[in-house]
Amino acid sequence: MSTAVAKSAKKLKTREEGKPNILLTVLLIIGCLTVLFPLYMTIVIALKSPSEMTNDVAGALSFPSSLSFSNFSEAMRVTDFWNSLLNSFLITGLTIGLSLVLHSLAGYSIGRSMGGNKAFKFIYFYIVSGMFVPFAILMMPLVKETAILQIDNMLGVILLYVVFYMPMNVMLYCGYLKNIPQAMEEAAEIDGASTWTTYWRIIFPMMSPMHATVAILTALGTWNDVMTPLVIMSGSEHTTLPLAQLNFQTQFGTNYNLAFASYLLALIPILIFYIICQKSIIGGIANGAVKG
Amino acid sequence: MSAQIRKPMSKRMKTHIGMVLPALILFIAFNTIPLITGAFYSFTNYRGYGSYDMVGLRNFIDLFQDSRVGSSYLFTFKYAICGTILVNVISLVLALGLNSRIRFKSALRGIYFLPNILSGLIVGYIFSFLFTYIIPAAGTALGWKALSNSILASESWAWVGVLIVGVWQSVAMNTIIYISGLQTIPADVYEASSIDGANPWQTFQKLTLPLLLPFVSTNLILSTKNMLMVFDQIMSLTKGGPAQSTESISYLIYRNGMDGGQFGFQSANAVVFFVVIVTVSVIQLRLTSKKEEQL
Amino acid sequence: MNYRKIIALAIPILAVTSLLSTGCSSNRSNDGKTVIKMLQYKPEAVAAFEEMEKRFNETHDDILLQIESPNEAMTILKTRLIKEDYPDIVGIGGDINYSNFLDAELFMDISDFEGVADIKPAYMDIVENLEFIPTDGIYALPYVANCAGILYNKDMFEQNGWEVPTTWTEFNELCKTIQASDTLPLYFGYKDTWTTLAPWNALAVGLVEPDICAQVNAGKATFAEAYAEVAVKTKALLQYAEPNPYAYSYNDACTAFARGEAAMYPIGSYAVPQIMSVNPDMNIDSFPFPANEDESENVLNSGVDLAFCVMKECKNKEAAYEVLRFMYEDETIQIYLDDQNAVPCKVGDFSLPSMLDSMVPYIEADRMADYQDHHYPSEMSVDAMIQTYLMDESENSTETFLQRFDREWERYNRDLIAKVKKYEEGLK
Repeated sequence: MSTAVAKSAKKLKTREEGKPNILLTVLLIIGCLTVLFPLYMTIVIALKSPSEMTNDVAGALSFPSSLSFSNFSEAMRVTDFWNSLLNSFLITGLTIGLSLVLHSLAGYSIGRSMGGNKAFKFIYFYIVSGMFVPFAILMMPLVKETAILQIDNMLGVILLYVVFYMPMNVMLYCGYLKNIPQAMEEAAEIDGASTWTTYWRIIFPMMSPMHATVAILTALGTWNDVMTPLVIMSGSEHTTLPLAQLNFQTQFGTNYNLAFASYLLALIPILIFYIICQKSIIGGIANGAVKG
Repeated sequence: MSAQIRKPMSKRMKTHIGMVLPALILFIAFNTIPLITGAFYSFTNYRGYGSYDMVGLRNFIDLFQDSRVGSSYLFTFKYAICGTILVNVISLVLALGLNSRIRFKSALRGIYFLPNILSGLIVGYIFSFLFTYIIPAAGTALGWKALSNSILASESWAWVGVLIVGVWQSVAMNTIIYISGLQTIPADVYEASSIDGANPWQTFQKLTLPLLLPFVSTNLILSTKNMLMVFDQIMSLTKGGPAQSTESISYLIYRNGMDGGQFGFQSANAVVFFVVIVTVSVIQLRLTSKKEEQL
Repeated sequence: MNYRKIIALAIPILAVTSLLSTGCSSNRSNDGKTVIKMLQYKPEAVAAFEEMEKRFNETHDDILLQIESPNEAMTILKTRLIKEDYPDIVGIGGDINYSNFLDAELFMDISDFEGVADIKPAYMDIVENLEFIPTDGIYALPYVANCAGILYNKDMFEQNGWEVPTTWTEFNELCKTIQASDTLPLYFGYKDTWTTLAPWNALAVGLVEPDICAQVNAGKATFAEAYAEVAVKTKALLQYAEPNPYAYSYNDACTAFARGEAAMYPIGSYAVPQIMSVNPDMNIDSFPFPANEDESENVLNSGVDLAFCVMKECKNKEAAYEVLRFMYEDETIQIYLDDQNAVPCKVGDFSLPSMLDSMVPYIEADRMADYQDHHYPSEMSVDAMIQTYLMDESENSTETFLQRFDREWERYNRDLIAKVKKYEEGLK
């Protein structure tokens, strides 16, 4: 073992009290192949031109003869990349923001009250059952409703997302609360703090690992979604990235090379967001406990 | 109960009502109201536009006689049961692995998260290619006859192909939830158990799993629901084929209700399906909450 | 202390007020011009339509034409109908969607539009046959058509001295010859179920009467009889194709044909751009399916790919007609033809794409019939039924399939059959 590796291993040891499990690492890396192989194919196709596409295995897996990133620039042009990206950011970002506030509030009040209160128990099951409604049955009524309310635009899409992910998020927050002891809130309330203050000062920060989880799961659902913006925003001039990516598919032909390049580009922001959220899922509980 | 205790209770209750209200209003406006409107169409022969007639219970009677709907239920449940078990086992193992002391933690977590964000077009193309060309080529080279044909083209095995991709994509989401659940288990609990000399399996069985139960029940419900509502994988891999062997309920509802002119009939299908999933989930919830209480 | 409470309350209030305040409808007509909105369903032709829009607006001071060519246009059109935000003109295909929209009374009678006289009668008949119940008046103006039959690799044919077949026997012999030279005669992409309809339609036009679906609806015929030969011949094609065609998609088949793995590909002219994207130098031609033993009975499978309809809600009929007049000028049609491989529906001297060479005699002689599946309700999934039938290796698969066809037809067309019955009784 080189000294550098030994040093970093030592550092890890002091930080995490124990040496990294090499066997497990190797196993997990082997498992990664199930993801890396499809990813490799995606990248190879994104770099090729349509005339390099074949049906034989060796040809499909081989790297293109000349590396060219023209597919990426062309895909950015076709989808009006920066503009669509901004809209996608706005929609996903605002959805996450609203979800974190509204869903955690609802989750907290339901989670703490449903034990002794039938009404809250009912509200819990009522909201959670919303997750099982097939979207197809809601779609047409929602198109009509958003048109009447004149929110057949980005705002409408955001509000709909907040509702679509409410059942799952409320359920997640309620589940998480079960592992947060009530003692701390009770102590704070005896000290004279109102329920609101206690919530924002103590509970909300303590739930930050769950906030990160909710944020990432909500982002997962909204970032790639085509259907909702397609049917709700069809009248407005704004477009999201997945909507713009429909350009690569027509009834009788698909430009896989451009499409794959474009999807790879769209993948990057959400992957970065996930890695950031992961950090906060890990670090969160300690911070919350310290603050509390 | 004395009035003295009740008074602060009710004040807190008022606050709690205020907390849940905004979410509840939005939910009623954009879930319940459209659901009732949609359910109304299940009593009509509405095509999605134009005029329509009331047809009473005809759609519901048809539903129970429709062999296509029947086989879509069979397929969906077969898929969901296998999928839920596989997804939860794999993602729990993966979460435990990714949460332990390993190298390249962030990178590994990032990679395992990827399947969930790949678009349907990519997943459809890559896996079709894998099943149609690569696996048969490997099967022929190895002399395994069973592998020499694409499983997506086999009436009896195509569902397994869809299942593999469905599980591959869903594992990421449930792993995230399990990982966040593992964070709620304080480290000193583990320390205590290692002092007691428990082996890793005992630690998992006696400590981790019980503490993780709320997340297991959440994950079970979420993955059952996602698996029962399977749609994206069908659209990108088989479009219900071959020989209509992989038509899921959601696929039928969407394809015939939206693209076709069966909006009324498929609304009836959706209403029945909704009731079925809620029932399944309530049973699941009962079972897991009983388990939670026992511990 | 309470500021958080205020914020938390402010969010729903803000949400509600923004519900009421945002958005404004775009029915304005700027600088007094009449706005005509057109929604057309072929996003691949967006460049041609942008050019047309530009030319129209340059030459018209009083009308502003706005053409939309969205992706997933049929979904968007349906959401527009729900929102009651109607375009003035729609450009859609001559298929079951048109029949349904017409049945929902969405379109305006345009029989007083003078351009009707310039359209080829064969195409006017095709759109008229799409009416569920015979209606007076004209509701759709065919713009361009596409054709389906068999695409073939022209270079490969010339190198081997193969001739374009004109009868079913000749076709079978050709396939055997090709097979003998170690080439695949045909390639199918039956993993995508809709492609099963390509040979099915192309065979059916030559073997079945064009209004068979209307006859069945009126109780005057059964599919069991009408489609027997089509079913047998569709299945007979399998012996000339790659083994297990259900494993390969439309895209795979296009790539295989483009790479010269097969000599022929039974599909429509719409597949040519996808094939050419893989092999831009390929020499493709196509011929009508030789379904009969007598060449004179063969019919070319051609349907209306794009037709214009004026919506009933259109407020400015005269302005809409002016747009249509412009669309049907020879120069405007040529813009479209230069951009897309298509057959114009207007009578006139247009240059046709070279991959239709062997079809031209049929087009010129008006020997054409519509795709049968334009009459099938999409929820019946006839394509999947055909795939099931082709995969069924039991002896009586044909009977099973045909009986199922009649049975399901009745179930999926129940309301329509009742309507036809009522109409026929009204006639008596």
